[in-house]
Amino acid sequence: MTRTAVYEKLNKVFRDVFDDDSITVNDATTANDIEDWDSLEHINLMTSVQKAFKVKLTMGEISGLKNVGELVDILEKRA
Amino acid sequence: MIFSDLFFLYLFLPLCLICYYVTKNPRFRNAVLIVFSLIFYAFGEPKWILLLLFISVNDFFLAKGIAKYRGKTAGKVLLGAGLIFDIVLLLFFKFSGPILGFTDKLFGASTDASNFLLPVGLSFFLFKSISYLLDVTWEKVEPEKNYFRYLLYISLFTQVVAGPIVRYADVETELLDRSATSEDLNQGVNRIVAGLAKKVIIADNLLPAADDLLGEALPDTAVVGVWLGVLFYTLYVFYDFAGYSDMAIGISRLFGFHIKENFNYPFVCRTIAEFWQRWHISLGSFFRDYLLYVPIFGEPRKYAGLFLVWFSTGLWHGSHWNYIIWGLYFGVFILIETLIGKKKLKKVPTWIMHIYTKLVLILGFGIFRFEKLSDLGLFFKGLVGLNGNGFIDEFAKSAFIQNAVLLALGILFCFPIVPKLQEKCMENEKLRPVCGTLTIVLNAVLLIACSILLVNASSHPFLYANY
Repeated sequence: MTRTAVYEKLNKVFRDVFDDDSITVNDATTANDIEDWDSLEHINLMTSVQKAFKVKLTMGEISGLKNVGELVDILEKRA
Repeated sequence: MIFSDLFFLYLFLPLCLICYYVTKNPRFRNAVLIVFSLIFYAFGEPKWILLLLFISVNDFFLAKGIAKYRGKTAGKVLLGAGLIFDIVLLLFFKFSGPILGFTDKLFGASTDASNFLLPVGLSFFLFKSISYLLDVTWEKVEPEKNYFRYLLYISLFTQVVAGPIVRYADVETELLDRSATSEDLNQGVNRIVAGLAKKVIIADNLLPAADDLLGEALPDTAVVGVWLGVLFYTLYVFYDFAGYSDMAIGISRLFGFHIKENFNYPFVCRTIAEFWQRWHISLGSFFRDYLLYVPIFGEPRKYAGLFLVWFSTGLWHGSHWNYIIWGLYFGVFILIETLIGKKKLKKVPTWIMHIYTKLVLILGFGIFRFEKLSDLGLFFKGLVGLNGNGFIDEFAKSAFIQNAVLLALGILFCFPIVPKLQEKCMENEKLRPVCGTLTIVLNAVLLIACSILLVNASSHPFLYANY
C-alpha cells in the first residue's frame, strides 16, 4: 500500500474514532495534538486501524508508537 | 538505609561522591556505584542481596536469549519464563504473609512469617526487570552487553528502594558513560534539599498529626477531626513520596543520571485521570505500556484493560483488601470521566472540578490508610458523624491549631509556587544574582533545620519502601 493511500484511509479512521471531521494527521502527529487521544482511546483507535487495514498489530507496536509516522511505516509494509 | 538519615547524608553519600569523582574512568565509576549500591541495599536487607544479584543475572542472560530468538518460539518461551518468574516472586512475597496468617488460623499453627517479609524495593526492581525483558522482545532496546552495567541499572542505590521505575532505554547511554555539569550539581543539590525538607519538615510531622486523629482515637473523633486527619494523611503520603522522589532524582543527577520526573504537582489536577498522570508517573506509565494493551480474549479491550490496570495498581500496593478497593475506586472514577468525555468535562466550571477531585482524592487516601476493613467502616461513619461524636470537639480544635502552620505549608507547596518564583527571578537580570544567593542560603537553612530535626527524631522510613 502506498503512503498516500495509507494516509487517506487512516484519516478516515481518525475522524470516525474521534468523531471530528476536521482531523488531518501527518507523520509528526502525536496524542498531544488530538484532545481525545488518551491511553484508553488509543485502544479503540488501534482496534479500528486493525479492522480498516486488515492487519494485526503486536502489543509492543501498540504501546510503543511515538507518532503517526511510525504507525504509517508499519501499515505501509503490511497492508 | 534511607535517604533521610544523617549517616546517609553526611557519610555514605559524600564518601560515595569522593570515590566516584576520584577518577574519570567510566568503568571505575560504575564499579564505585555498584559497590556502594550493594552496601546501601545490604544495610537493610543483607540476605536479599543474593536475590537482587540473582534477578540481575537471570535478566541479563534471558534478554540475550530473547534477542537471539526474537519472533521464534524459543524467544517467546524465554520471555514467558522471565515474566512468570518475576510475577510469581512478587506475588509470593506480597501474599505469603496473609496466606500464612490464614492457614495458621485454619490449622491452629504458628509459622514464623518474618522469613517471608517483602524484601525492600522488590516491587520496584522487579518492574524494572519486566520492562527490560519486554522492551528487548519488542526491539525497543538491544540487550545490555556488559553484565555489570545491567547490575548497575537494577541495583543503583538512588532508585533501588522505592523507584522511580526507570526504563533501561532512558538510561542506556548514561550507563555507558555520563558526566555531571555544574548545572546538574546545582540542580541535584537543590532537589536533594527540597526532598529532604518535604520529608523531614512536612511529612514526618503530618503523620503523627494524622495518627492522633485516625489511630486509636478514631471511634471517638468528631466529624471535623476525621476530615482533618484524612487531610493530614493525604498530604503526608504526597510529601513523603514526592520528597523521596525529589531526593532520588537529585542524588542521581549528582552522578550524571537524568531521571524522568515522578510527580508533577498532582493536586492541581482538574480530573482524576489527570491526577494519575501527575502522581507516581513511573508506575502509571509502566501499567499503561505493559498492561493496558494486553490482549484480553484476543485483542486489547478498553474497559477490561482499564479495570485490569486499576486492580493491579491496588494489588501492587499491598495484600489487604483496602488496596484493591482503593485501586478499583479510582478505576470507577476514571471510567465515569471517560464515559462523560473530555469535551463535556471541560465545560464544567473549574471550581466544581477542583471540589470534585479533591474530595475523591481525600476519600481515596482514607481507603488507602485503613488496612482493616472494620477501621475503614469506622472512618466512613466518622466522616458523616455516624460514630456519635458530634461535629467538632476540643480535640479536633486543638489538632487544627497545633498543626495550622504545617497544614498551610502543606497546602501551599502543593502548587507550583517555587518554579514560578524561580522563573520570574531568572527573567529579571537584576534579581538573578539575588535569587542565586537566596537559593544557597535557603538550602543551607533547610539542611541545618532538617539535620537538627533528624538528630532528635526516631527513624521514619519512607512509606513507599514498604511496597
